[in-house]
Order: sequence, then C-alpha cells, then structure tokens
Amino acid sequence: MSQLIKVRPTKIELVKLKRKLTLAQRVQKIVKDRLSILTMEFLQTARDTIEAKKNLVDSFSSAYKALSIASGYHGYIALEKELIASETDLRITASSRNIAGVRIPSFEITGKEKEKPIRRYNLSDTSSWVDHTTQLYKRCLKHTVELAELQRSLELLGMEINRTKRITNALEHMIIPSLEVTINYLNMKFEERDREEKARLKRVKVLLAQ
Amino acid sequence: MIGDSSYDRMLQECLKGELRIVNAGLPQNRKSLSSLLGEEYPHVKCSDSSVHSFKRKELEYLASLINANEQVALLLPILIELGANKAEAAIICQTGIEEEIISKILNMPAQPQNGRITIYKPQLTLLRRVLKTTTQYIFTQKILK
Repeated sequence: MSQLIKVRPTKIELVKLKRKLTLAQRVQKIVKDRLSILTMEFLQTARDTIEAKKNLVDSFSSAYKALSIASGYHGYIALEKELIASETDLRITASSRNIAGVRIPSFEITGKEKEKPIRRYNLSDTSSWVDHTTQLYKRCLKHTVELAELQRSLELLGMEINRTKRITNALEHMIIPSLEVTINYLNMKFEERDREEKARLKRVKVLLAQ
Repeated sequence: MIGDSSYDRMLQECLKGELRIVNAGLPQNRKSLSSLLGEEYPHVKCSDSSVHSFKRKELEYLASLINANEQVALLLPILIELGANKAEAAIICQTGIEEEIISKILNMPAQPQNGRITIYKPQLTLLRRVLKTTTQYIFTQKILK
C-alpha cells in the first residue's frame, strides 16, 4: 500500500510534489527502456556464452586427442622436450566498452603470435601430429579468451539488470504511487478548505442579513 | 507516512544518478573507420572520460563491406537511438554509408527518414550480434516527452 509523504499542506508543496512526480515518471520511462536493452543484451550474451563454451569443450577435447596421439607417436619425454622450447608469451589486450551505461570488458589476442604463428620446435625431428596439436591448442586459447570476456560480461549485465529492476520496482510500487496519493490528498484537503470557506461565508452572510 | 528526510534525498540522488548513467558512455568525438584501422588500439574517448575500444575483427569486417572512400567518411561508433516507441530503434544516418552497411548486414533495403533508419528489436539483435563494439546506444530526449 502506498504511503503518504509527510508534507505541509500548502500550494507550494503541491507544485513541488507535481514536479517530483513528473521527474519520477520520466526516469521510469528511461529506466524501463534501459532494462529492456540490458535484458536483450544479456540474452544475446547468454546465447553467445553457450556457443563459446561448446566450442571450447569441443576444441579442448580434439586437442587432448591430438596430444595423446602425438605423445604416443613421439614418446612423452621427447614431446615435452620439443614443447618446452616452443613456449612463448601470450599478449592479450584488455580494454572496455559500454553497453547502455555498463562497462563491459573486452579481451583480444594481439601481437605477432596471432598474425604469424611461429613454430619454435624442431620441424625435422617432429611429425605433423605435433603441428596439428599446436594448431588445435591455439584454437583452444582463442576460445578461452572469448569465453572469459563473455562470462564476465554476463555477470556484469546480470548485476546491472538486478540493480535496474530494483529501481524500476521502487519507482513503480513505492515512489510514484506515494507521490500520487499525496497529491490527491493535498488536492482533497484544498477542496475541503474551499468548501469550509464557502460555508463560512454563507453563514456570515446569513448573520449579516439578520 | 514517509518523512521528507534522508530517505527522500537518497531517492532523489538515485534518480539523478540514473539520468547521468544512461548517456555517460557516449563518445566525445567519433573517428572514421580508416583512422581507426590505422591505430594500434582502436578506441574513442567517452563523455565520462572512459575509453570505448573497438575490436579489430569488426573494423575489418566493416571495411570489407564498403570501399576506401566510404571508409574515410564512415564515423564510428554508429549510434542507435532509443525512442519512446519500445518496439523500434533508430540508427542515426549522417553520411548515408550506414544505410549501405545496415542493408548488407540485415539483408534488406534500408531507407533513412529524417536522417534515421528505423529498425525493429529483432533486427537490432541481429545487428548487435555482428557489430558489438562498433555500435552504441543513445537515449534521446524523445523518451523524456
């Protein structure tokens, strides 16, 4: 149930309350529009996350298979020796973008490794299985970065949707109804005062006539 | 009865804050596609002094849709205006290149009216799926009326 706001029953207060009500209604429109956009983005991100997760699982599964074949072909110790030499630094650019007032992280693999893959292991000593495994693991890396971005975006969008929903509910069920009730109460009070004034004037008129 | 106290003040601040948030991420100035492609970390500065970065993959995709002269003229991010009508959104079309891009991505003819291309929400979802970082939402005064 909406509550009355404690105000002095004056015309100035009534004007102030009407202004507040207009502001609250405008904000409600904006917040609702923002909520619908955030929900749309959230759903899209959720769909993308599911797809990215599926891709990641698929790529890791095929990469593990390829690695087991490669290690079976070369032997674990020999393969490890070759792979230690091929360790490189990964360069990821982290930045942000804005979706309807929410700062979303953005990750992208950058640097020379992305453009031109360099194989640092000995090509004459290794088989094509190692090349295949390297390619598959590179794909895993790409999917991991993609999923990290999407999951964090999903979390942030979810939190913002919750916050915006709370504001929408507060406006819809608390602020606007209480402002409306108070405005109605003040209007009724002023009408009552007018009626009292009229009745008093009539009574004075009757007394003067006697 | 609710008192005209700190609670009321808090609500007022909350409302003002909400108005500030919605358009805080708008770019201070837009950059052309060709200049963004030349940058190492393509980005624009926002009005709240934060940075909105673009994904190179998206920029390259946009570059593949238009010719070199249009790349110089196309300003990014493309602004999507949200109006009073909740079912629709409008893409601000200043140079006419946006029209070409939208029609190619959505695979439909796009005709700007008063410098705006009106699209529906399902189309907006499709567009945002392809152009995540190169488009941005703008909440205009139309909503407030």
